[in-house]
Amino acid sequence: MPVVAQNSRLGNILWPTLAWVVALIFFFPIFWMVFTSFKTDADAVKPEYLFVFKPTLENYINMTENYDYWRFAINSIITATFATTFALVVGVPAAYAMAFNPSRRTKDVLVWMLSTKMLPAAAVLYPMTYLTKNFLQIFDTHFLIILVLCLINLPIVIWMLFTYFKEIPKEIIEAGKMDGVSIWGEIKDILIPLAWGGIASTALLCFIFCWNEAYWTVRLTTTDAATLSKLIEGNRAPEGLFFGRLSAVSTAAVGPIVVLGWFCQKQLVRGLTFGAVK
Amino acid sequence: MSKRTLPRLLQTPAVVLLLLWMLVPLGMTLYFSFIRYVLNSSRRPEWTVPSLSNWRGFGNYEYVLFNAKDFWFSIQNSLFIVVSILIFTVILGLALATLVNRTFPGRGMVRVLLISPFFVMPAVNAVLWINMILDPVLGLNGLAVEGINELLRNLRDFPVLGAFFSMWPEFEPMSFRATQTSAYAVIMMVTWQWTPFAVLIFMTSLQSEDEQQKEAAILDGANAWSRFRNLTLPHLARPIAIVVMIQSIFHLSLYAEIEIVSRGNGNKNLPYLIGEFTSNNIGAASATGIFAVILANILAIFLLRMVGKNLMD
Repeated sequence: MPVVAQNSRLGNILWPTLAWVVALIFFFPIFWMVFTSFKTDADAVKPEYLFVFKPTLENYINMTENYDYWRFAINSIITATFATTFALVVGVPAAYAMAFNPSRRTKDVLVWMLSTKMLPAAAVLYPMTYLTKNFLQIFDTHFLIILVLCLINLPIVIWMLFTYFKEIPKEIIEAGKMDGVSIWGEIKDILIPLAWGGIASTALLCFIFCWNEAYWTVRLTTTDAATLSKLIEGNRAPEGLFFGRLSAVSTAAVGPIVVLGWFCQKQLVRGLTFGAVK
Repeated sequence: MSKRTLPRLLQTPAVVLLLLWMLVPLGMTLYFSFIRYVLNSSRRPEWTVPSLSNWRGFGNYEYVLFNAKDFWFSIQNSLFIVVSILIFTVILGLALATLVNRTFPGRGMVRVLLISPFFVMPAVNAVLWINMILDPVLGLNGLAVEGINELLRNLRDFPVLGAFFSMWPEFEPMSFRATQTSAYAVIMMVTWQWTPFAVLIFMTSLQSEDEQQKEAAILDGANAWSRFRNLTLPHLARPIAIVVMIQSIFHLSLYAEIEIVSRGNGNKNLPYLIGEFTSNNIGAASATGIFAVILANILAIFLLRMVGKNLMD
């Protein structure tokens, strides 16, 4: 923990106070959304009820009726869960192979995988629509969204897992080999128990990214597989007449994820900088 | 099976999946960018289906570069938005990371509050900002300006001083729905969302800073600014580069925010322009897409080189 720069009395009070003020300012929009979600639509736009009002749960109770919230929420849960699972099923063996049996090309393969993440999605918008609508006929299906979410997050998943697996001493895996354990046995009985924490945080982060994805989930769905991103985007409410109910549905859409996010802030650095910042 | 081949096989599914995901759609975009392909062409029905006989060579590229009026504007606007976000997030990120990188009561809570915006889904972020915060009438923006005007009107009733205040004009709340101002709105909301990312990375990096060196600098009488300038900033050079590159790649393909904030008001970036073309002129959309890929690749090469370098240590 840094101890320098804390030598002045004034600084000891001033800087922490400033840190708190800035943190509260940054959190304010989220607070305001949650706060407004307890106002009625009519109260939400009246200046006299800006801070003092009669709280109501009406917006949450009517969420299903106003927005069909659960249909979208269930789609989000299904697609994010399955996409994360598949990404792990494909990613764990791949990362295992690259971490413990690297070849001369492993580094290039990893970097290439990341490069697929950097292709602008918009560049392949029409081909994706064309392929899935006219050719494969999987447009607006859960299968398609799961597949796409899995593929766009696979590079990050493999990359994160790779950095976690690299931390496991090679000797432990080698010892397993000596004892004649099969590869599946190695993964199942040695690797997964040892790297459990890393795998869990990779899964958590992947889930969050799937949940918040807002390009393909909007452009490749109409109704059946539409997720919460699509729901919110479809209710941008330009006239602003429904601040109360819009806040409630937004709170319900982001609340669980923000809370999950609090638990994986440390892993976020690893997942988003590809191990380049330590 | 030998000991070396089976492990290699384990990475095949991932490699094959990503290869297909990359090559098939991109190959199609490349193909479409060289043919005439217009969805709603009643005069030339043969153009409505992709076919090699509609070959156009570089015609779509020429059209996009020289005739499509929004192409250069949207590149310029993309860059304006990305560069502004970068400047704000890096400066704010540095300031906040240094601020939080010390022990004080409630530091954990401060971190939690600071990081939260990063996890808000982009669609909610945009809807929240453009309506509830920035709306010139009903949002906090409008309410705050109205409050100031109200105060001004009350001050005018005072004797003597009132004469002074009645010379002041009332304030007009800024609308964020015009072409230029909605770009500001996008910059604001994305800065809000991504500053936490910069803070988090700079903080991680600050923790690996050499404390002894810093203490030596204090003993030598270096002040806080010169310590920051000469020790901390060089230490953060690499994380800053990473933050800049990763954000550039993400923000060049910014979509949900633009879509929500600026539908129909002319504020567009490259992905949004591609979306517009896609409703009719697929040839132009694909050519624009190829330009977007080239732009992203220029940035990606630098990032990937940097990432690859310290991968195996």
